[in-house]
Order: sequence, then C-alpha cells, then structure tokens
Amino acid sequence: MAPVRLSNSVLGSFRAASRRSALWRRACLYHSYEYNQAPPFPPAESAILSAALAHVPTHGFTSGALTQGARDAGYLDVSTSLLPRGVFDLIYYHLVTQRLALKDSVQFLAEGEKGKSLSIEAKVRSLTLARLCANEPIIHRWQEAIAIMAQPTYAPDSIAELARLADEIWFLAGDQSVDSSWYTKRASLSAIYSATEVFMTQDTSKGFIETGKFLDARLEDVMKIGGFFGAMGDWLDYTGHSAVNVLRSKGVRI
Amino acid sequence: MLCCTRTLALASLRSAHIPVLDFLAPSIILYSQKSRFHSTPSPIEPPANPHAEAIQDEKPPIHHLNKTQSDFLDSALRVNQAGELAAVLIYTAQTPPLIRSHPHLRPLMKHMYDQEAGHFKTFNELIAKHRVRPTAMYPIWHAAATVLGWGTAVMGREAAMACTEAVETEIGGHYNEQIRVLLDWAERCENRGEDLGEHIKTLIKELRRIRDEELEHLDYAVEHDAKEARPYELLTNVIRGGCRTAIWISERV
Repeated sequence: MAPVRLSNSVLGSFRAASRRSALWRRACLYHSYEYNQAPPFPPAESAILSAALAHVPTHGFTSGALTQGARDAGYLDVSTSLLPRGVFDLIYYHLVTQRLALKDSVQFLAEGEKGKSLSIEAKVRSLTLARLCANEPIIHRWQEAIAIMAQPTYAPDSIAELARLADEIWFLAGDQSVDSSWYTKRASLSAIYSATEVFMTQDTSKGFIETGKFLDARLEDVMKIGGFFGAMGDWLDYTGHSAVNVLRSKGVRI
Repeated sequence: MLCCTRTLALASLRSAHIPVLDFLAPSIILYSQKSRFHSTPSPIEPPANPHAEAIQDEKPPIHHLNKTQSDFLDSALRVNQAGELAAVLIYTAQTPPLIRSHPHLRPLMKHMYDQEAGHFKTFNELIAKHRVRPTAMYPIWHAAATVLGWGTAVMGREAAMACTEAVETEIGGHYNEQIRVLLDWAERCENRGEDLGEHIKTLIKELRRIRDEELEHLDYAVEHDAKEARPYELLTNVIRGGCRTAIWISERV
C-alpha cells in the first residue's frame, strides 16, 4: 500500500526537518548566479503543504487543511503531526513560495526597449501589489494566519520572512543602494507591506481597489518623510562644510 | 495593475552563466548540493543522457557553496566595503589640512584617494550584485573615519602618514587572510574535481590586486616619514587596535 510504504521515508525527512529548519532560515543572503538555489522545502513536505494550501479556502489555516493535504498527497493523516511547527509551517510555506514566485510573476520592460521604463518606486509598487494579489485566494482566512504568525513562538520567523520579502522586492525593483539606506528602505517597505496586508483582509471593494489606494498613500508618505530627512541632511552637510571652510579661510588651522 | 511584457533580462542573467548545464541536465545542478542531507530519496534521478555525461567530462561541475562558505563571503564582502569606506573618508578628511601645509603631497594624496575610491566602487558593486547586507555600523564608521583622518592630519604630516601606515598594515593582513581562505577553497575544489566558479576566481584576482595597492600605500606612507611621528607607538597601536575592532564588528553586525 503506497501510503504505508512512504511513511518510513516521510518520518525520516520530518525528523531531519526539525534539525534542518535552521538551514531554511539562513541569515546569510549571499546569492550566487552560477548555479540554481536549492528548492526551499524537501519534496515530501512540499507535496503535503502545497496540497494542504488548496484546502485553506474551505478549512482555513487549521490542522484539518493539513490532514486533507496529507491525504491528497498520498500520505497517512498522522504524517502532519510530525511537521515541527504545525499550522505555522503551512503559513510559512505560503509565504516562502509566494516570495520566490515574485521574480517569475512580474517582468519589467528592459531598459532601452520601446516605451519608458519604470522608476524604481513604480517597480516597488508593482511588485508589492503582485505579492498582495497572491494572497487573494485565501484573503478571507488571512486574519487567522496573521494571528498565528503573531504568536511569540512564531513571531521571529514571521518577521524574518517579512524582511526577506522586502529585500526581494527592492532587489527585483533594481535597487543598488549599499549604505544605511539599504536598512531604511527595507524597514519602511516591511512596515508598509504589513499594514497594507492587514488592510486588505477587511477590504471589500471590487478588485481590491481600496488596497491599491491605501498602498499608494503609504508610499507617498514615505517619499515625503524621506524627502524631508534628505533635505535636512543636505542642509546640515552644506552648513557644516561652509562653517569649516569659512574658518579655514580666516586662517584657523583646521 | 501590472505593466509587463515578457523580457529576456532576468532569464538571460540566470542562464548566461551555465548555458549548457541549465537545459541539458538541470537536475544535476539542483540535487547535487552537499548541504542537503534528508533521508527521503530524491524522486528525480539524474537523466541517463549520454550528452550530459559528455558535457560533464569536458567541464567540471560548479561547486555549490555550503553555508559556511556563503557566510564567509557574506561577511568578507561586508567588511571589505566597510574598510574601503573608511579609507576613502580618511583620505578625504586628511587631504585639506595636509595639503595646506605640504602642497607637494597633493599628487600622492590624489593617487591614493583615487585607488581607494576604485576599491570602494568594486565592493559596492559586488555587494549590490550578490545581495549582501552592508554593515549596520555604516554611519558610525563614516563619522569615526572622518574624525580619524581629520585628527591625524591636524596633528601633522608624520601623524597622518603613521595613520595610513597603521591602517594599511591591518588591511593588508586582513586581505591576505581572505585570499588564503579562498585559495584553500580553490585547492579543495580542484582535489574534488569541481570548478570553483568564475565569480570566486575573479574575486581572488581582485582581492590580490587590491591587497597589492594597499601595501603600495603602506610603502608610500613609510617613505614619507610615517615612522617619525610622535608618539609613534601609541598612535599606531591605538589605530591598529581600532581597525581590528572595527573589522571584528563589521563581520558580524
């Protein structure tokens, strides 16, 4: 019987998974272009969790969805109790796979092709909207998911995944910053994304138009604040340099 | 909402580096990683494709970096960028006071500054390309390096040169260490019959060039009476200690 034969190998992979969860949450981001990155989940878990996601619209993020998924993938029902973090693994699977799907789901006109290419801010907006759209099939269950993610046990992993999403969006938008603005950009985008995601869970407008407008308003706020601090920084810089240069011209040895 | 047409930009980036292996034997690339140790047998067998065998005989497979190696590259690039930022700012801050009292040093300072700016640009590009996190201490190093450069220049020409000597000694040793590690990887890969990859080979070349230029700056500094600075021992030891601390912190934070 196929499910029974598979259970031994599944047990093995699930035991290894709890040791391996640290590998999945790699802090290091060094990205090599010379070989493909390994798939983030081993085949057995991938099969169960992807099947389980199909049941989330009906069952929600519950162990019921996981059980249905295990059955659909041809494993025993009890296999799901070996997932190290239970239902959170299902949410995590959704987060990771949707983040990795971004680079294939959104393509931008290459520079120099016909028509104007977008600015980085516009690309960030498109990518964020694309990622929000990926939540559409399960948006009516997303509030439970957020509640589970907010639990103290799972909050660090959720926040790390949010940071990775922000990094992915900026990278795909073509951001080349390598100074402290690397941090401020990702922090602000993480805040905007999570606020918009929560807004979307209670948005009832057609095609989530209100969510789009909410996102535009938040992005504009960030531009204004960024613009203000940038201008202040420029002014301080200029005033400081001018003061030093005036003193030097008066003969002060600095 | 989404404005897109299919573009080759992203696809060509990925396939440009392994054009043959990518479509002939993708599973070999995906599942030959050493870091995967789960016990479930992989459901995808490597294809029994005579073409794949033939290609593999001609070109050794690309070595997949394990976690230790990725972490090393991550922190190495981060530290190097921080170091070059500091170097650029030290020269920027040292130059005006120094040039006012010793105008003949202008060409030397410009030459050293240009080389450091080139190094900084190299590491900035590498960091952006490989998605490495820059150091969180960036604004602090910015301020500290400016103060160090200005302070030593105000103390005098010898002190400024002693500062350069101290910093370049530390940096030279630091780059040597990195090159040693990368060459060790290269040797292990050769023993295993794998290819280290173009990026890392280029990185080794770049690091060697940059290390040589830093040691050149060290020589210039000593030539220009760095050892005449008073108090030489205190100044040099404080600066070298500061550099070592900064390197240690930047590798982690």
